Amino acid sequence: MSRVQQLLQRWPFAFALLLALVLLVLNLLISPSFLSPQRLPATLSTLAPFVLVGFASTPAILSGGIDISVGPLATFINCFFVAILIPAGLGNWQVAAPLVLLLAAAIGAINGVLIAVLRLHPVVATTGMLFLLIGLSLTIAQNPIAAPDNWTEVFAGSVGIIPGALISIGAAALIWFGLRRTAFVSNLLATGESDISAFGSGVNTTAVRILAYSVGGLFAGIAGIALTAIVQSSQSSLATTYALLGLAAAVLGGTSLAGGRGGLLGALFGAICIYLLQQLLTASGVAPSLIQFAYGALLVVGVVLGATLLTPRLKKVRS
Amino acid sequence: MSKSTTIRKQTASAERRLGPKIKRILVELPVLQALVLLVLAAWLLISIPSIFNPRSVTSLLLIASLLALAAMGQTLVVILGGLDLATPGYILFGAFMAANATGKLGLSPMLAILLTILVCGGIGALIGWICHRFAVQPLVVTLGTGAALTGATLFLADGDYSSVPHDSLRSLASLRATTFGLPFPPIILIVLLLGVALWVFLNRTTAGRRLYATGVNFRAAGLTRIRTSIVWVLVFAASGAFAGLAGVFIAAYGSGWSQTIGDPYLFSGLAAVLVGGTIFGSIHGSYTRTLLGALILTLLSTIIVSNGLSEAQSRIVFGVIILAVVSLYGRERHVRNRF
Repeated sequence: MSRVQQLLQRWPFAFALLLALVLLVLNLLISPSFLSPQRLPATLSTLAPFVLVGFASTPAILSGGIDISVGPLATFINCFFVAILIPAGLGNWQVAAPLVLLLAAAIGAINGVLIAVLRLHPVVATTGMLFLLIGLSLTIAQNPIAAPDNWTEVFAGSVGIIPGALISIGAAALIWFGLRRTAFVSNLLATGESDISAFGSGVNTTAVRILAYSVGGLFAGIAGIALTAIVQSSQSSLATTYALLGLAAAVLGGTSLAGGRGGLLGALFGAICIYLLQQLLTASGVAPSLIQFAYGALLVVGVVLGATLLTPRLKKVRS
Repeated sequence: MSKSTTIRKQTASAERRLGPKIKRILVELPVLQALVLLVLAAWLLISIPSIFNPRSVTSLLLIASLLALAAMGQTLVVILGGLDLATPGYILFGAFMAANATGKLGLSPMLAILLTILVCGGIGALIGWICHRFAVQPLVVTLGTGAALTGATLFLADGDYSSVPHDSLRSLASLRATTFGLPFPPIILIVLLLGVALWVFLNRTTAGRRLYATGVNFRAAGLTRIRTSIVWVLVFAASGAFAGLAGVFIAAYGSGWSQTIGDPYLFSGLAAVLVGGTIFGSIHGSYTRTLLGALILTLLSTIIVSNGLSEAQSRIVFGVIILAVVSLYGRERHVRNRF
């Protein structure tokens, strides 16, 4: 038992990985064609927004804060691209892709400034941003607007033999692993673990926090593109669903909400778990309301397991 | 020595003169919120004078009191330093009990309300216990439980959203209802009475002070032999019970329910708490502030909609207002001052 526990503590995402494997086997038992090469690009592209929103929530949580506005940011980017950029004739990828990613990162940076410079509580600041973004998305596109043919379709299909979704997820992962080569990620983890100690050791915690939220915003922008790829219309109504999904994916993947522990791999496996669970229940004909029940229960069980099995050190002194 | 003392005395007396006093009053009492409320009311009166008739005022108060009731539990949880994202689930369950249980199954309204309070309170208590026992963030646990409760309620409802709440429930919250012969629905009085009761509880009882102490500093509260586990369990149970109750009345007000009846109340309720000036783990948080916050938000969205802007734009204004109010006095200390 203690060896299993040690393993789980060493690798925070191990629990999500094991759960994902079990769910994958169950999925294959129910529908054997689940992983067939023909279906793979479509499967991966529906998975991509989940994973990317999970990625987007992670840096903020690692910094010891939280960002509940990444889901609405993804849907805002989706609405902005479909309802503003395409009608304005800026829909080609050379212009649109840098523009939406820059916008998303800038909105993330505003969150970071609110939290690190104005020193608002992260939940409060991002709740305000969530209202703003949902309001803006609804103003731009109250009802779904269908998108004409555009470059995002690549991410729903495949380029040669590479599924398009791997490119969007891979881009985000590549950015993160690039950042890991710098001091940023270590400083981020230190800030999340204890901002006082990090500040005392000369880490510029303000800059680290702002950068963390900007990177989260950037990932949310990629998630918006991946979302556009599969829905091919503006979907302002998905905002709150994704707000909660991203958080769930990150936490299920072993990223501690106290900050300082976890990473993108956790969010990846967490998102895969949520997706596979949905697939499994849908394929076996369970009512949608019970899927929601199972998803909620999974989240609570995952968090409690995470707190009991996966946390190496004793928590705060209690009485 | 003498020089520095004089300087210190001078600065101290200068500070004592005006600035800090006003600041303290602003922080301790919801003066700002009351002022904003008055300004908004005046604005509404000037821009649409015809709104000043009993029917419109009653309907504004009714909407505000439903929002305030939905935000009641959230206020307590925020004072404790947590966040309750299960509110839509509780409201949905309350609405289900009000509509389907009393309408279709013929349950008596009293029993339906009692069952709602028991179930939602029980689930809330479980959340509080899990959060305290395993030291996990309430944010995630309430999120998961809320989703599970929503799913379970929709499963129980089995696609039936056409039931109408029992007449006696509707007479509590519909616009045309009367209270002891006076022309306003009883729900306004109920929320007011609950507000007074909550004020007495928070300010005049030991249990209320224990709640504040636990919110401000969890460890210190534990060391003064406050049983923090009980505080957590009771606060989350109360949050569930109040939100469930709000669900009953929201369904009674709208004479029916839908799958998404609870969703608007999660973030608007949180907005009412924050605009009122209750911040996480703050000693200055109170339900009076939430009542003011709910009134401000209701007036504000009325003004926005009456100016021809859409519901969506009122969300944007809500977001800006939350950020503005909180950056006025909800700011945290700089890390260099926390060594």
